[in-house]
Amino acid sequence: MHTADQTEISTRVLALLEKRFGDTVLSLAPDADLSDALPGFDSLAALEYVTAVESEFDFEVDFVGDDVRYWFSTLVRTSEYVRERVEDQAA
Amino acid sequence: MTYDMRQGSSGVVSGDSDLWCTYAAVRTLSWLERTGDLPSPETVGGFLASRQNSDGGYAWSAGMSSDAWATYYCTQAMADLPDGSRGAVGSPSSAWVWGTAHEDGGFAMMPGQSSDVWATYYAVRTLVEICGERPPEALFDWLAALQAEDGGLAWSPAHAKDGASDARACYYAITAWSTATGGQGPLPWDRERLTGWLRDRQSAAGGFTFQAGDGTDCLWATFRAVSALRRLDENPRDAEGCVAWIRDRLLPGGSFTRWPGYPVPDVWAAFCGVGALRELGAGLADIADPVVEAVLSFRTGQGGFTYRTPGLASDVLTTSAHLLAGHFSGGGERDALRWVEGCVMPNEHGVMYMPGRGSEVRCTLWALSAGAFQDDAQGRARIADWLASSIQNPDGGFGYWEGRASDMVSTSAAAEILHRTGGSPAAASLRGIAAYVATCETAPGQYANVPGGRPTLRATLQALRALHRSDGSDGSDGARVGDVLARHRVRGGGFANEGNRVPDLLSTYEAVVAADTFGLEWDTGHLTKFLDSVRTADAGFAWTPLMATSGGPLADCLGRRLELRLSPAQHALPPLALS
Repeated sequence: MHTADQTEISTRVLALLEKRFGDTVLSLAPDADLSDALPGFDSLAALEYVTAVESEFDFEVDFVGDDVRYWFSTLVRTSEYVRERVEDQAA
Repeated sequence: MTYDMRQGSSGVVSGDSDLWCTYAAVRTLSWLERTGDLPSPETVGGFLASRQNSDGGYAWSAGMSSDAWATYYCTQAMADLPDGSRGAVGSPSSAWVWGTAHEDGGFAMMPGQSSDVWATYYAVRTLVEICGERPPEALFDWLAALQAEDGGLAWSPAHAKDGASDARACYYAITAWSTATGGQGPLPWDRERLTGWLRDRQSAAGGFTFQAGDGTDCLWATFRAVSALRRLDENPRDAEGCVAWIRDRLLPGGSFTRWPGYPVPDVWAAFCGVGALRELGAGLADIADPVVEAVLSFRTGQGGFTYRTPGLASDVLTTSAHLLAGHFSGGGERDALRWVEGCVMPNEHGVMYMPGRGSEVRCTLWALSAGAFQDDAQGRARIADWLASSIQNPDGGFGYWEGRASDMVSTSAAAEILHRTGGSPAAASLRGIAAYVATCETAPGQYANVPGGRPTLRATLQALRALHRSDGSDGSDGARVGDVLARHRVRGGGFANEGNRVPDLLSTYEAVVAADTFGLEWDTGHLTKFLDSVRTADAGFAWTPLMATSGGPLADCLGRRLELRLSPAQHALPPLALS
C-alpha cells in the first residue's frame, strides 16, 4: 500500500475517534496511548473503537489472537494494523 | 471484632471513590450550606458524570448497567454542586427513568424488573426534582397498596401482603408521595395507623429501629423514621430524646457514628445525623464546622468520596478478593477475616460492602468464599436465616439488598450461600428460587438477568446453577450448559457474554465454574490462551483483552483463581457472582 493510503487510513481512524470523543482527538499525538490521552477511554470505549474500525474497513478482529490491546492502543498502531489487514484482504 | 481492629481497619483498601459515599458527602455539605467548601467541585462533577451510560442512565460503577438508585444519586449530587461544576443532566436521564416505569404504577430499578419502593422513590425524585416532570397518576394506587396490616409500609404490594413493614420503606413511599404532590394531595394510607407504626419504632433510649423486633437503634433508621414523620407533619413521641440520642452519636473529632458501640465515624452517619437533626428542627450551627471537616477528609484522589479516611476505607469485596487470591500470610489473613466478619449491621446478618451499609447478597458470598465464618456455625446459621426470613422476595428471587427487586446475579449468589450454609430454612428458600428463575427464561435454556431482559451467557449459567442448587433442575441442565458454552465460546480463547466474539474475564470465569459444577470437560489450552490475553505487565489481569492495565483487585482475583484451577493441584473455583 502506498504512503497516501496510509495517510487516508489514519484520517479515517481519527474520524472514528473524533465521532466518539469530539474535538479532544484533534490534538492527539499519533503515538499517544489512547487510554491515557482520551478521558473515558475505558474497556467499553475500547470495544466501541475496535468495532467501529471493523465496520469502517470491513474486516473482523480476532480479539484474542490479534493482541488488540497493543494494536488498538495508539492511532499509529491502529493505522498500521488496518493497513496490514487491508493488504491481506487484497492479496 | 475488637475496637482497635475497627478503628485501624485490617481489611484492604481499594482507594476508589464510591457513588453512594459521594452522594452522601455532597448532600450533607448542601444541607449545611457548605458546598462552597469543596476544594475542587469540578472533580466531583467529573466523577459523577463518569457514571453515565450511553443509555442516559447512571451506574454504580463503570461498566455496570444503569439503575434508578445510581441515576438519582448522580443527578441529585450534581444538582447540589455549585454552579459551574455540574455535569450535564437532561432529557437522556429522564427518558431512561421513564423506561423503568411499570404498568402497575411503580418503578423498577432497571427495565424489566418488578417495581419496588426503593426504585419508585429514586425515579419519582429524579423525574420531579431533577427533570421537572410529573409521575403517572397510577403511582398513587401503587403506593396505597404498600400499607401492611400492622400499619407500616412495605417494599412492594406483595411484601405488604406478607406484612414486612420497614422504616426505610415508609420513608421512601411517603417521600415519593410528598414529592409527587407537594405534600398537598390526599394521603393514600391510613394516617393514624402509619404514624403509630412509625412512632412505635422509637426506643426508650430515643433512637429508632427499622423493623418491629429489631434490638439495636441506629442512626440510619432514626433519620428515615423522623424524615417520614416530618413529611406527614408529625413528630416522634419523644422528639427531645431523639435529638439527644442523635447528638450522643457525635464524636469529639467531628462526625457521627452509626449506633451505640460502633466507634468509626463515616459519611453515611454524617448524612443521617445532619439530615435527622435538620428534620427535627434542631440547631446545626455548633456542629457544622467539625462535620464539614470530617466529611472533606473522606475525599479520594479520584475526585469523589469514600466512607471514611481513604487510607483506612477497607471494603469487603476488595478484602475478600485479596484473601481468595492468597495475598495474605499468617496473622494478616486471620485479621482480615475477622474484619470482614465484623461488617455486619445490628439486626441484619448478611455481610455488607462497607461497614455501616446494608447487608448485600453478593458481598456475603464473596466473604464466605474467602473463609469468613468458616469456624462459626452460629454466624453461618444467622446468614441463612437472614436470607430465608428477611430478604427473599415474594417472587422467590433475591435482590442486592433487602427490599430491592430480584435479579439473577443476586439470586444465584443466594442459592450458593444457602447451599453452603444449609439447614431447613435454607431448603425452603431454595425451593422458591426456581419460581423466580422461570420468570427470567427468554427461550428454552436461555435466561436474562431480570424478567424481560436480554439473554446472556452469564445470566443463563447463573440460572442453571441456581436451579441445580435449588434442586429445580429437570436433569437436562448439564446438556443446556454445554449448549450455551458452545454458543458463546470464542474461537481464540475464553467466552463472551453476548455472541461469541469478545471474550471477558467474568464470563470466562462463570463458564469454567458452570462446567465444573455440571461435570463437563473443558479445554485447558483454550483457557490458557485467554488468560495470556488478559494478563498484564504487573502480573494482574484485565477484564478484557482490550485493556492493557489490571482491572483491579476483583479482576486480579478471578484471573489468579483461574490460574490455580489450571495448576496441577486443580484448585476448585469458588462460585463467585459479580454482575
